[in-house]
Amino acid sequence: MRRGQRWLWWLPAVLLLALGEVTGAMAEEVRVVYVGPAEGSVWRGVALGQHEANILGRFTGQTYVVQQMRPEELLGKELATLPAVVLAATDAETLPKLSAAFASVGVAVFNLARDDDSLRQACLPNLLHTPPSARMKADAVAQWQKKHAGAAVEAWAWHPDFVKYAARDLNKRFRELFNVPMDNDAWAGWAALKMVSEAIARTQTTEPARILAYLRQDMEFDGQKGVSHTFRDTGQLRQPLLIVQDGKVVGEAPVRGVADIADLDSLGMESCRR
Amino acid sequence: MTAPIFTLLCLLVMLGNALAEPTYRIFVTNENDNTVSVIDSRSHKVEATVPVGKRPRGIGFAPDRAHVYVALGDENAIGVIDTRTLQVVKTIPSGSDPEAFAVHTNGHIYLSNEDDNKASVLDPVSGELLAQIPVGIEPEGVGVSPDGKLVLVTSESTSMVHVITVPEHQITANILVGARPREVAFSADGRWVYVSSEISGEVNKLDMAARTVVKKVKLEIKDAKPKGVVLSPDQRTLYVSTGRANVVAVLDADTLALKTSVPVGKRVWGLALSRDGSRLYTCNGVDDTVSVVDTATHKAIATIAVGGGPWGVIIDD
Repeated sequence: MRRGQRWLWWLPAVLLLALGEVTGAMAEEVRVVYVGPAEGSVWRGVALGQHEANILGRFTGQTYVVQQMRPEELLGKELATLPAVVLAATDAETLPKLSAAFASVGVAVFNLARDDDSLRQACLPNLLHTPPSARMKADAVAQWQKKHAGAAVEAWAWHPDFVKYAARDLNKRFRELFNVPMDNDAWAGWAALKMVSEAIARTQTTEPARILAYLRQDMEFDGQKGVSHTFRDTGQLRQPLLIVQDGKVVGEAPVRGVADIADLDSLGMESCRR
Repeated sequence: MTAPIFTLLCLLVMLGNALAEPTYRIFVTNENDNTVSVIDSRSHKVEATVPVGKRPRGIGFAPDRAHVYVALGDENAIGVIDTRTLQVVKTIPSGSDPEAFAVHTNGHIYLSNEDDNKASVLDPVSGELLAQIPVGIEPEGVGVSPDGKLVLVTSESTSMVHVITVPEHQITANILVGARPREVAFSADGRWVYVSSEISGEVNKLDMAARTVVKKVKLEIKDAKPKGVVLSPDQRTLYVSTGRANVVAVLDADTLALKTSVPVGKRVWGLALSRDGSRLYTCNGVDDTVSVVDTATHKAIATIAVGGGPWGVIIDD
């Protein structure tokens, strides 16, 4: 009797330990491969995206691991296990190679840093582009100049002082984590992981090809710029741009009065047909 | 015979005194100029503009309606206004960046700490922060079930409705809804919940027995950004504000079919219905006005100038 009681005294602790094991096992590990510099803006954006993916994953059963790899480790080799996606902040020449290496297994490769239109017009099935293309930025500037002749402006994907919609909140989160302002590159890195985590939470799958299919067909991403972002057939992320003059946000594109503000395809080339 | 009637009359008089006459005041938070506008709902005149504190957004009554609570995002506090004297009687620390909240019938305030991924439970009488519950990113809309057993919190950047039990404060379900969920509204029987999703442009209907989305519709209104959501007292009509589409969408609460839309002011945000459901009040954030909508004719019958960036509205009627 006494021995039994002593044994029972341990039971809650044992159960708690077991429970910890079970809940730990229930969270599925999602491996994201990152190719690019392990410092600087894109990397910080990826890190914030990973942090936020893990907050979502706490409620939907995933933990996100970002593994840094060099292009040579990925090209011309078979990986033992496929990553859920590949995030690439590389030169333009490496991107089609990475895309080709993963095309047959349907792993999405995100371009996080290049604005080359030729990469979009290549229309590679698994290559997705989070930064705006050069043409999108040029179109945004042209729209603005139609309304404000002669204005010397640039079009950016993001700005650390942007506050509208929930940009204020995202900028605040980034600054609190890294103590530096969030720029275009950081937004591109953040957005990619955020989209991937949403795809996995909503589909409850980590199968790469199904993640890619969700991203291309079903996603309505909240990039904290006031409208939902989707992918074009070219793999380019549709998004509004910010018009920046002398370092300050002066407007948004599509530019009201020049284009329909909801027509994100007024920026850049929307289809694969030349 | 007369004695019981006399007793009954005395009781009725006592009851009448206990249930104070409503003030018929409309209270509106003005996010951009740190005030609350007080409007007489019978004359549509602004009676007072009360400086309340920095970045006022969420607004609600204490259960006895003696006080108005206001979330002061940039003061990390809840401001308390006396409904009759219109004096700010106190300011209670609430945890970081309170945005929206709901008041439980037990008097506790359930609020979202937008920049801290938490929901907090505040006792406004003692000022004690009773609990903090980790939720998703950018928590916003809060709703209390009619029976008081559940609290719902939306997290905007995690696209989720968290289902929290009272009094345990345990999360028992996380329901993925359309992108950027803003507000929740319970049906009177607690069975259904309506959720507005700003970025996906949807209204989702949740079955609280199954804890799943049973219906969702995209508002077929150009540029609609659903935000405010209120249910008519007869439970048949859902009113949804649409932000930059500048209209209130009128939906069949059962099917979520769009019945009509009512033009109001620019960036229509917070909504409130009169107790009888005959009047709908809308905050027009860019116009700095409140519209009064006749829900029988679906027409705006008055526009009232308020402070800068009206965000939330409630009525004491």
